[in-house]
Amino acid sequence: MKIHINGTAYPLTAVQPITLTTALTLHFAEPQQSTFAVALNGDFVGKGDYESTMITSGDSIDVLQPIQGG
Amino acid sequence: MSLNIYGTMLDSRLLIGSALYPSPEVMKQAILASESQVITLSLKRQNPNEQSGQQIWDYLQEIVADNFAYLLPNTAGCKTAKEAVTLAKMSREIFRTDWIKLEVIGDDYNLQPDPIELLSATETLIKDGFKVLPYVTDDLVLCQRLSDLGCEVIMPWASPIGTGKGLMNPYNLETIRMRLPNTTLILDAGIGKPSDACLAMEMGYDGVLLNSAVALADDPAAMAKAFSLALQAGEQAYKGGIMPERQTAHPSTPTLDTPFWHQNH
Repeated sequence: MKIHINGTAYPLTAVQPITLTTALTLHFAEPQQSTFAVALNGDFVGKGDYESTMITSGDSIDVLQPIQGG
Repeated sequence: MSLNIYGTMLDSRLLIGSALYPSPEVMKQAILASESQVITLSLKRQNPNEQSGQQIWDYLQEIVADNFAYLLPNTAGCKTAKEAVTLAKMSREIFRTDWIKLEVIGDDYNLQPDPIELLSATETLIKDGFKVLPYVTDDLVLCQRLSDLGCEVIMPWASPIGTGKGLMNPYNLETIRMRLPNTTLILDAGIGKPSDACLAMEMGYDGVLLNSAVALADDPAAMAKAFSLALQAGEQAYKGGIMPERQTAHPSTPTLDTPFWHQNH
């Protein structure tokens, strides 16, 4: 299956859905070391729901981090 | 007197952005010099291998502690209510605040807010417990609709973001002040000079939010201090009561017993 994280395609050998927690390790080596929040297909997913949220082929994940703003 | 943001009372009436500074150190010096207690920031996609985002985040947390300040995340870049609502929820989780500077942009040329999407996002977010600080044009009726939805703070623009053009339409801004006397009004965007900020305060605005005017100055810390003083001057002027403008000249010096006086006509 293939998923997108921040617009980058990640082809995966897995055919079964994976958890959001697992998917995030494709983006971060150590997610717990970073400050971030997640949206799945445009909807917010809270940290407490990462492990129970299943990612399937075609899903798009946004991982956002703090940045300067006006 | 204090700036009232949904019941939180702040000594400083200046809200300041954290973007566009030449370096993180200059940003820190400028924000500290501004004495602002509300600092705006945002969320974006970032390369996880770059540490710059984490460095900025560390700096901002230091500044917040030093200034006894609050973070005000924005929804910059959002063009629909759905995008803005999602970003607001992500910001609430990261920054642990229910304050949100709500931006929903309708036009890429002048970054003008989309009033329809803005109202829709505001309604959704207020129902979800957010304290919404909407960035809007200087449209009185739109501001009234936002107030009706429960916005206790409304932030009309002075002019488009980053232009430094100052107060484009003082009449509209004065009218909003007059018609919404109990709303915390913060002039947001387009401020170029400290005199612009002073003028807003002279009108009775409760505060000013700016970024570029300080960040793009030759000496951001000096300009931040200038803005801080300008806001204080404007606030004092409003409290002092500005004299009414008159159409004809009136001598300042008493005319009674003027030497050499004679009637011309």
